[in-house]
Amino acid sequence: MSDWTLCIDFGTAFSKAAAAPTGAWSGFDPQTVRPLMLSGHEQQTNPFLLDSAVFVDDARILFGRAALGQAAASSDKRRLPLRSFKTLLSVSDLDRALATNAPTSVDPHRIFQMRDLIVLYLAFLLQTVERAAKADPALARVKEIRRRYAAPAWRSGDSAGMHTAVLGIFGEAEAFRAAMGDRLLAPEGLPIDVITSALPKAAPAAKPYEMDLIFEATAAASYTSIGLEDAGSHLIVVDMGAGTTDIAAIARAGQTAFELPEARVTFKQAGDFIDGVIANVVLDSAKWARSPEQKTALWTALMRQMRDIKETVFADGRAALRHEGRTLSLSMRDIERDNDFKEFIKGFERAYAQSLAVVRDDAKARGRPEVHAIAVGGGAAAPFVRALIAAKPKGGGPRVAARPATPDWAHAPSFQGNLAPVFPQLAIAIGGALAPDDMLAARAPSIPA
Amino acid sequence: MVAAAKPKPARSKAKKERAKKPAAPKAARPLVDALAEAAWLEADLALAEALADFDELEGARDDADKAHAMVLLAQSLARAGRKRGLARLGILGATEPYDPSRHEYIAPGKPKTVRIKARGVARGGEILVKPRAGPSRRKKAL
Repeated sequence: MSDWTLCIDFGTAFSKAAAAPTGAWSGFDPQTVRPLMLSGHEQQTNPFLLDSAVFVDDARILFGRAALGQAAASSDKRRLPLRSFKTLLSVSDLDRALATNAPTSVDPHRIFQMRDLIVLYLAFLLQTVERAAKADPALARVKEIRRRYAAPAWRSGDSAGMHTAVLGIFGEAEAFRAAMGDRLLAPEGLPIDVITSALPKAAPAAKPYEMDLIFEATAAASYTSIGLEDAGSHLIVVDMGAGTTDIAAIARAGQTAFELPEARVTFKQAGDFIDGVIANVVLDSAKWARSPEQKTALWTALMRQMRDIKETVFADGRAALRHEGRTLSLSMRDIERDNDFKEFIKGFERAYAQSLAVVRDDAKARGRPEVHAIAVGGGAAAPFVRALIAAKPKGGGPRVAARPATPDWAHAPSFQGNLAPVFPQLAIAIGGALAPDDMLAARAPSIPA
Repeated sequence: MVAAAKPKPARSKAKKERAKKPAAPKAARPLVDALAEAAWLEADLALAEALADFDELEGARDDADKAHAMVLLAQSLARAGRKRGLARLGILGATEPYDPSRHEYIAPGKPKTVRIKARGVARGGEILVKPRAGPSRRKKAL
C-alpha cells in the first residue's frame, strides 16, 4: 500500500496537484493535506498554480508561465500558445483529435500533431510535480506515492473507458520526462531539434502510466464530506464554468461512492454567457456610448475587468467601474431584469430540477432522508446558484441541504486563515487526494478494481 | 609544460561550488507561508486599488465626485477582504438582542437590544471584529 496519494487536477487554465497520506479519510487531520507548490520557484505568482500552456517558438518550445510570457512578447501576434488540453482530452473521438496537426497559429513550423504537444506539456507537468514533491518536507521522505488525476464525469463519451487512452498519453509523457529530466523545466524551454529527436523514441519506450481516475464530482464529494459525521449519502454538484454548467451526482454506500449517470445534465450556458449579459446591460445603460468605436472600447474594457465586476456584483449586489473618466454602475437587479438572463435562469433551473429529481428518487429508494448540494467552479459564488442549491424542493421526500463551497476544515487554525481564500482553486486536487480508493472511477492497470 | 595552477583559497572554491548548484527551490518554504502568499497575491491588487481610490476621494472636488470615489473605495476594500477570506458579520441597522460576546456596544450601559451601527468581520468561525452596536432606540428628548 502506498504511503501517500497525489492527485493532479489538469485544469483548462491551470494545473494543480495536492497530496495526502493514504488513509487520510479515516481519522482526518486537515494539517496533513499538502497542496503542491508547482510554481514555487516563480516570482510574483500563485505558487500552487501551473499555467497550462505550450508555446512553439522559432527554435524552442516553452512551457507554463514562460510559454505565456514568450507568446506575449512575440512580435508575431498571430502566434498563439496552446492552452485547451483539457477540452481536447475530453472529446469523444480522442484518437482522431490527437492525430490532428496543430494549427499554424500554434505551430508555424507544421511539425507537431496535437498529441505531441500534449505529451510535451504532460512531461513538463510530471517533472514539475516531481520537483514540487521533492521540495515538500512531508513528501520528500515518502517512499511510495500513488497518483491520480481528476476529470469531469460528464465529459463526452465514456470517461472511465477513456482512462486507458489517457494513461497511454501520460505513459509517453513519462518516457519523455525520464529522458529529458530537469531540462524540461528550463525557463528558455527545449530546443525543437532535441524534441524531434527524443520524442519519437518516447512512444516505443512508453508503458501505461500508473495512475487512477477520480471524477471531479467525486473529489468535490470527498472534500465536502470528509470528517463529517453527518456526511450525506447523496451529493449533487453544480459546476458552473466558463462554457457549460455541468451537474452531476454522487451516491455513497459506506465508503463506496458511485456516480448516478442519469443525474448528469449539461446546460450549455454558463459564465461566458453571463459575461455577455452583463456587458450588454452596461452598454445599454451607457447612453453616451453611441459610436461603434465607443461601444467597442467599452465592451473591451468590460471584458477585461469582467472577473472583478462579476465577483463584486455577486457579493455586494452592485458594482461600480471606471471607464474613460466616467463611473459606471451595475446592480444585480439590472441583470435580473434582462430578458436573456431570465431565459438563462429558466434553463438553469430546469437542468438542476431534472438532475435533482433523479438524485432525490435514488435517495428515497435507498431510504436516505437528505441530499447535499454543493456549487463548485467560477459560478459557485453567484447568488442565483447559491439560492437554487439552498431552495427547498416541492413535495415530500428527501430534503436538500446546501454545503459551503469551502469546507469548514479549510479554516483550521493550522492554516492561519490562508487555505480558505485559495481553497476553491485547489479544491479538486485536494478532494482527489483525500478520497478513499472506493471512490475512484477507474484504477491504474496494475491495481485490480 | 603547463604550470601548475595556483591553488585557490578554499573559501572562493566553496563559493564557486555554491554558485554551480541551482538555487534552493523556493518551494522549500513552509506551506502556510506559500498559502499566505497565494492568498495575498490578489488581495494586494485590491488593496493597491483601494489606496489609489482613497487619494481620489481626498482630492474629490464636489459631492458627486466624492460619492463616486467612496463607492469605488468601498468596493476595493470589500474585494481585498474577500480575497483574504474575510466575511462581514451582521446587517447594518438590524436590531438584535445584546450579546457581549457578539457585539461591541459603543454607548454606555448594558442594553437588552442593540442596533448594528457597523458590521463586524469574521474569518471562518473566528470573529476578528465584532459588529459595533448602539442603542436600539433613540432616547426621547427631554
